[in-house]
Amino acid sequence: MLKWYEQTAQDSDVVISSRVRLARNLANYSFSNKLKEEQAAELVKEVKTITSSLAEKANRKFYSCNISTLSEIDKSAMVERHIVSPLLAEKKQTTGLILSEDETISVMINEEDHVRIQAIVGGMNLEQAYEEADRIDDIAYEKLHFAFDEKYGYLTSCPTNAGTGMRASYMVFLPALSAARMIQKLIEEVGKYGVTIRGIYGEGTKSLGSIYQISNQKTLGNSEREIIDNLNRIVTQVIKQERKRREYMLSVNSDEIEDQVYRSYGILKFARQIASDDAMTLLSQLKFGADCGVIKFDREFNVHKLMMGVQPGSLQWTLGKNVGSTTRDQSRAEYIRKELPTII
Amino acid sequence: MLCDRCQKRDAKLLYTEIINGIKKEQHLCEECAADYTSFQMEKPLLNSELTLGDLLSTLLEAYTTKGTKETGDSKPDIVCDSCSTTYEEFLQKGRFGCANCYRSFHKELSKTLKGVQGSDVHTGKRPKGFISDTDRILQDFTEIERLSLKLQEAIEKEEFEEAARLRDLIREMKKEETNNA
Repeated sequence: MLKWYEQTAQDSDVVISSRVRLARNLANYSFSNKLKEEQAAELVKEVKTITSSLAEKANRKFYSCNISTLSEIDKSAMVERHIVSPLLAEKKQTTGLILSEDETISVMINEEDHVRIQAIVGGMNLEQAYEEADRIDDIAYEKLHFAFDEKYGYLTSCPTNAGTGMRASYMVFLPALSAARMIQKLIEEVGKYGVTIRGIYGEGTKSLGSIYQISNQKTLGNSEREIIDNLNRIVTQVIKQERKRREYMLSVNSDEIEDQVYRSYGILKFARQIASDDAMTLLSQLKFGADCGVIKFDREFNVHKLMMGVQPGSLQWTLGKNVGSTTRDQSRAEYIRKELPTII
Repeated sequence: MLCDRCQKRDAKLLYTEIINGIKKEQHLCEECAADYTSFQMEKPLLNSELTLGDLLSTLLEAYTTKGTKETGDSKPDIVCDSCSTTYEEFLQKGRFGCANCYRSFHKELSKTLKGVQGSDVHTGKRPKGFISDTDRILQDFTEIERLSLKLQEAIEKEEFEEAARLRDLIREMKKEETNNA
């Protein structure tokens, strides 16, 4: 089965992926920040019991584990691939994970909330991501007693998540808008509509390779449908602006852009050592060139898969061992050389 | 010592660079080091979580103390009867202690939630088979009682046509009831 980042998808020149996260808590336990270790272990055990019903009813293979059983490399590779949050990977208490074989669905246990259901699909398709997460939520509710209040909706640890408990986000690639230094303005603009733009790994993280996350800020007062519709309207506008800007850049600077894209290819193809930030910047230029048709390859080329593959954790995961930064830079260069398609 | 590059933050590490045999030493802060070198700060992702929590709690406090600051500590603190989290603690941490906190802090909460979320009423998904307290009360109502409630709502919303229709319907049903008796 193909993973989401291996599929070709709609509007993928700008929208890389769509993700929905639902926060849920069990009524019979204190919230995670007040949970004692024994209860945490019990909670993880209880939530993990839904794994078999998920496999049965959601037509997929699911695996479950305690995060503490994973190696540091596994954990950081999973954070980089957006399967688990940094918080879950770092937490000292017992935490757990249920993951579908195709990595589309993950259920984090004892994160900030007891249960966080997440669904990721490639391209612009929040509807499908929500559908998946919603179904998992229904199946889970058959076994787990989620705290729900008539007035406040799903009760969450932090008041900023209460109600739907839903955070819906698009991961977008905005090289032209960021080159034009328009991101800050965009952030202010979309803020008026209850939407935020952040770096690639969420809250407070910086953007790598012109990739940003656009997500809803408020979770209470609007239905899931309304939240998604609102986000869709905004992202459609962002796509338009980005494409317009790309066209403009190409019309005034096509020679420079072509040169830049080919140079990036040259470095990626022949470098013997490369740091991950560098690799991200160059790959981002390559994606931009490929999307605009400035550069053509002999085969379908998924830049995003490569972007995840060059992250320190994923790289060491592929290598199967922990290595120092110089060796990492060498193996990163080797990995890129191997994966890079030929220009036609 | 200040960072050699930005001259603003404290230098945290010494970076030695040897290019073509020329050695250059720089004292750098973590931010500049992350930018300029391949140095990666330990766990850079988590730092932000803390600051966000702090920020949130100041926001929460700002929303709730607005206009209520009168005679200082005359107001007794509310305590959740299930997990004994106090309302004060909630404001400071920006986190509830358990699901029951929502009930315990009920009186103060609407204002807080409106401030943070712009609303205090959920309109989205309900879990399958969820029966609320209102549903439970309504279950014991007779059809006439239920319609009367709707009538009241229609009048409040100034939907007079609907109100008239409901009034007639109720009249009809009452008549039938007395006839049957």
